[in-house]
Amino acid sequence: MSQAGTADLPAALDAGDRARRRKATAAWRGELLRIGAIAVVLGLWQLSGLFMNPIFISTPLAVLKAFVQSIADGSLPSAFVSSLLEMVIGLAIATLAGFGIGIAMGRVRIAEKLFDPFVNFFNATPTIALLPLMEIWFGTDIRARVAFIVVICIWTIVINAVSGVRNVRRGYADVGTAFGLGPLAATTKIFIPAAMPFFLAGMRVALAQATVGMILGGQEVGESGLGGLTENYGSFFQTDYLIAAIITSTGLAMMLFGLLKLFQYRFCPWIAASAAARR
Amino acid sequence: MLEIEHISHTYETNGRRVEALRDVSLSIRDGEFISFVGPSGCGKTTLLRILDGLTEQSGGRVVFNGVELEGVSQEMGFVFQDINLLPWRSVRQNVEIGLEARRMPAAERRARAVEALRMVGLDEVADVPPYALSGGMQQRVGVARALAIHPKMLLMDEPFGHLDNFTRETLQIEVSKLWSKLGTTVVFVTHDVDEAIFLSNRIVLFKGRPGRLAKIIEVDLPHPRWEFNVRGHPRAIEMRESIIEYLGIRDEVLV
Repeated sequence: MSQAGTADLPAALDAGDRARRRKATAAWRGELLRIGAIAVVLGLWQLSGLFMNPIFISTPLAVLKAFVQSIADGSLPSAFVSSLLEMVIGLAIATLAGFGIGIAMGRVRIAEKLFDPFVNFFNATPTIALLPLMEIWFGTDIRARVAFIVVICIWTIVINAVSGVRNVRRGYADVGTAFGLGPLAATTKIFIPAAMPFFLAGMRVALAQATVGMILGGQEVGESGLGGLTENYGSFFQTDYLIAAIITSTGLAMMLFGLLKLFQYRFCPWIAASAAARR
Repeated sequence: MLEIEHISHTYETNGRRVEALRDVSLSIRDGEFISFVGPSGCGKTTLLRILDGLTEQSGGRVVFNGVELEGVSQEMGFVFQDINLLPWRSVRQNVEIGLEARRMPAAERRARAVEALRMVGLDEVADVPPYALSGGMQQRVGVARALAIHPKMLLMDEPFGHLDNFTRETLQIEVSKLWSKLGTTVVFVTHDVDEAIFLSNRIVLFKGRPGRLAKIIEVDLPHPRWEFNVRGHPRAIEMRESIIEYLGIRDEVLV
């Protein structure tokens, strides 16, 4: 590089500059298109209010007004916080227990024999049917809702942890064996990190399931949190408030998805990087 | 001295019995560089894995300095064809893994890893993740990982099989230099006849179906080999011809 003729240098820079500018323009165009699409949909939605009963889909401005009002009267923030709390506790329990069981099943034959029939059974069970059972067990408060979030998403976590640990590259496992790691050290130093892509994929699905569990639990068990709000607004045909609550629920889930992404970016940068290097 | 006594190995795949090795016996002297050469499926890699304890033989035994080996040997450093560096660990942490298994204190571990990396000329990239390195550099790390445990024996399984020609030749010279400096016994699996001649004191030829030891050849070329053109040496040319003839590679190509 240092030997490149100085005469070529400005030309090369120019070409690089032009390429960069082209790329920037393309990115801008893409961004404009995206914003435009959203604006058109919102615009049509607003126009629909001129000839449609607002009970069906309301209008963006009405939703915005409902949103501001339910923030102002504190109902939306408090529902958000209590739903978030249920999600965090439920997911934490499901993640710890699910990974524990899944990793044990993937690494210890006895654990597999022990848990496998139960995991298969509960994974096939329509978990929504368990909601009344949670109420019988835990009463009609936060404990039942958290328990429901746990039972709705834990099986996905277990199954992904098992496949993650099972699908570790034989070469990685060989490294542990050849260099003398015992079964426990091999599990923590090789199998768990190697299975992270599977774990994270499982967590993304589990997160979506947990969100459904959170809303459903809120609707059915003591009308609480965001689920309770949707139930309540729905039964009074307050569609604008209902949509504001739905959007807030989506926002809550997206926030947690974002945290998951951040976790991967921060603690497992190798997943993306080594996949890119292989390409 | 490592004695391989009547090793045989059969395994089942899709309900079919495969005889990977039949009655292989061989003595490996301390400090020698010995290569296992043969076509794919001749059992050379299987034998190497058995020496390390990665694969359990169906019959026979391996005796190392008078002690029969059972399970994975802690005296041997293994270098994999697929390198298998762990992407979630830095280069140095990869080199440390065998030392962690030996419960060495962190400071000592670190010093040893850096020392091993220095031997392969990579101490400067100790904190980089392995996927940031080229294939040749990654395999150097693979060698450093094996050297870090100060092995009595280095087992190398087609370590340069996935590398391009230039990188491969550079690494052959480096391994040859490391071997003459450290005096560690090296068992080297390859299907590259030139590579085996360049590196070895002895070459063990294997034939396939069933995998068996066919012939042992002394490589009577002077050391150090990197100081002259081994490939053009008349004795090396002769040896190469006779190995290829013997393994029947030429016949197979013609048929």
